[in-house]
Amino acid sequence: MKYLPYVLKHLRRNWIRTGSTVMAMAVCIFLFCTLQTIIAAVNYGLKSASASRLVTRHSVSLVYNMPLAYKERIAQIPGVKRVAISNWFGGVMGLPPDFTKFFANFAVEPEDYLAIYPEYVLSDAEKQAFFADRRGAIIGPDLAERFGWSVGSTVQLESTIPPYRIGRPFEFVISGIYEVDEVRYPGTDGRLFFFHHKYLEESTRNRAGAGTFSIEVNDPDQAAAVGKAIDAYFENSDVRTKTETEAAFRAGFVSLAGNLALLLNGIGIAVTFTILLVTANTMSMAVRERRTEIAVLKTLGFGSGLVMALILAEALVLGVLGGGLGLILGKAMIGVLPSLPLIGDVARAFPNLGLSPLIASLGFGIAVFLGLAAGLLPALQAYRARITDTLRTV
Amino acid sequence: MSGNGKAPMVAVEGVKKVYRRDAEEVKVLDGLSLEVPEGDFVALMGPSGSGKTTLLNLIAGIDRPTAGKVIVAGTDVAQLGESELARWRSRNVGFIFQFYNLIPVLTAEENVALPLLLTNLSKKERRERALTALKVVGLAERSQHYPRQLSGGQEQRVAIARAIVADPKVLVADEPTGDLDSKSAEEILALMETLNRDFGKTIVMVTHDPRAAQRAHTQHHLEKGVLSL
Ligand SMILES: Nc1ncnc2c1ncn2[C@@H]1O[C@H](COP(=O)(O)OP(=O)(O)OP(=O)(O)O)[C@@H](O)[C@H]1O
Ligand SMILES: [Mg+2]
Repeated sequence: MKYLPYVLKHLRRNWIRTGSTVMAMAVCIFLFCTLQTIIAAVNYGLKSASASRLVTRHSVSLVYNMPLAYKERIAQIPGVKRVAISNWFGGVMGLPPDFTKFFANFAVEPEDYLAIYPEYVLSDAEKQAFFADRRGAIIGPDLAERFGWSVGSTVQLESTIPPYRIGRPFEFVISGIYEVDEVRYPGTDGRLFFFHHKYLEESTRNRAGAGTFSIEVNDPDQAAAVGKAIDAYFENSDVRTKTETEAAFRAGFVSLAGNLALLLNGIGIAVTFTILLVTANTMSMAVRERRTEIAVLKTLGFGSGLVMALILAEALVLGVLGGGLGLILGKAMIGVLPSLPLIGDVARAFPNLGLSPLIASLGFGIAVFLGLAAGLLPALQAYRARITDTLRTV
Repeated sequence: MSGNGKAPMVAVEGVKKVYRRDAEEVKVLDGLSLEVPEGDFVALMGPSGSGKTTLLNLIAGIDRPTAGKVIVAGTDVAQLGESELARWRSRNVGFIFQFYNLIPVLTAEENVALPLLLTNLSKKERRERALTALKVVGLAERSQHYPRQLSGGQEQRVAIARAIVADPKVLVADEPTGDLDSKSAEEILALMETLNRDFGKTIVMVTHDPRAAQRAHTQHHLEKGVLSL
């Protein structure tokens, strides 16, 4: 500890170099935290996807709806057990819409949908109340907590999707709050809002088609084949379909598909490596221009190990500063992510988006490791440096 | 050899120093012997390349002889391992360099206190000792100045304060006045005389300057690795 002022004074003396290295390190850790958080969020969403469920959508884009009548036809395809219509409603509270209060809301066919998605655990009484009330809605526990809603609360939502805009907000009454069972159904999103598709149909005078069909198949092993059969069935229709397993659908929904993690990790590793080089360069410059000083320290009786430790400590401070700053930036970025254009839509679709302690400590650990790794070679150089080679005069 | 039977502060016995440069061997010191009694002030003179710095490095324990013995303050320097030698240096030898070699990012006081970091002294004690040493060299009021804010002569005085702060028995100086004008050089030499006379430091000083050498009590001349008087 008594050596700390010595270490800090060196860093302060070259504050431009110290500052730019710390900034570079911070950007690296910031990127790491943000990317890992996105990956974790995506994976978390995918974890809840069931292998025995398919999602059918318009072949062109999720933006277009399909005829409601497709439901009966899909139900007749062999291997299909159950079908439920589900539309992304895009409803927002407030006038004008307050996007900071955004949450995902869907218009679904209550009975079929809840049968296909057992992870939204409800008591029979709640279910019946929901089924019976055309304006009823069921919500997740996290959503209830966020807005202080309970059974009986009324909610007004106005859609951002043109065909669903009817000049006034939709009114809902909460019929039930589903439970999240992390053991049986890991990855269940506790922030969703479901209401009657019929309510949507009636209010929009049947302008609303079917956004997606959620399909439960009899045999998960046949899921892919059933999906192909559905798409083949509508092959020659006006509106063709695209059917995927739920996992593929969710991955497709973030439009970054399967290699997202690989890509992001690749970027992360490249950036980390670059920062390692930058920091190593800083440290070796620091040591090179201090060769005489290091020899003087050794002459005065500083052991080689101590001199090496001083260099490493300097690199470590760079790592700690960079890591700390990176975490602050990362936390801020992840906080504003949901309200950004484009990315925000994706970010909002995932639950639990926040800088987790694991990712934060991993990010900080990487920064500390980067600092030490960058300092290691110069420190070894300092360790090995012989007084008599450097100081030609005592 | 030492007049009153007391062991000399520095005893160099039959020392050889050979530098190996690739295949070629450079014999710098060839069986050199030298004794410096405690409290002596010795000047080492000689042409460039004669091995003065090499000899001083051996006495100061920052280099080892190829053959022979170097005994300083009762310790056979060549017997010590690398880290023991470092510890020994920090307690027994004070260094005065031609180019002062102060640490630029540290203040005068911090520079002087640097060797004390290796001791168990508290921060307060380190500070007090550093200020005392700065007083001895007459620079107490400059304690918060950085080396770049000091003149060459002042820098060298700070360096001398650093050399004496841990109270070593031996001071080694390699051309301490080599980079100074004559007035500053005069001050430095006077200071070294004081340290020798009033503080009892044994001093070994390498110099090219005959006037500097005259301030010493004993003069040795080094010629091609051997001493001549
Ligand atoms: N580390 C080394 N490797 C190889 N040769 C060396 C080394 N150190 C010193 N020498 C050689 O040893 C000889 C004596 O060098 P030294 O520095 O002791 O001379 P000096 O008397 O101090 O000279 P000057 O008055 O110029 O300082 C020189 O020929 C020098 O080239
Ligand atoms: Mg020399």
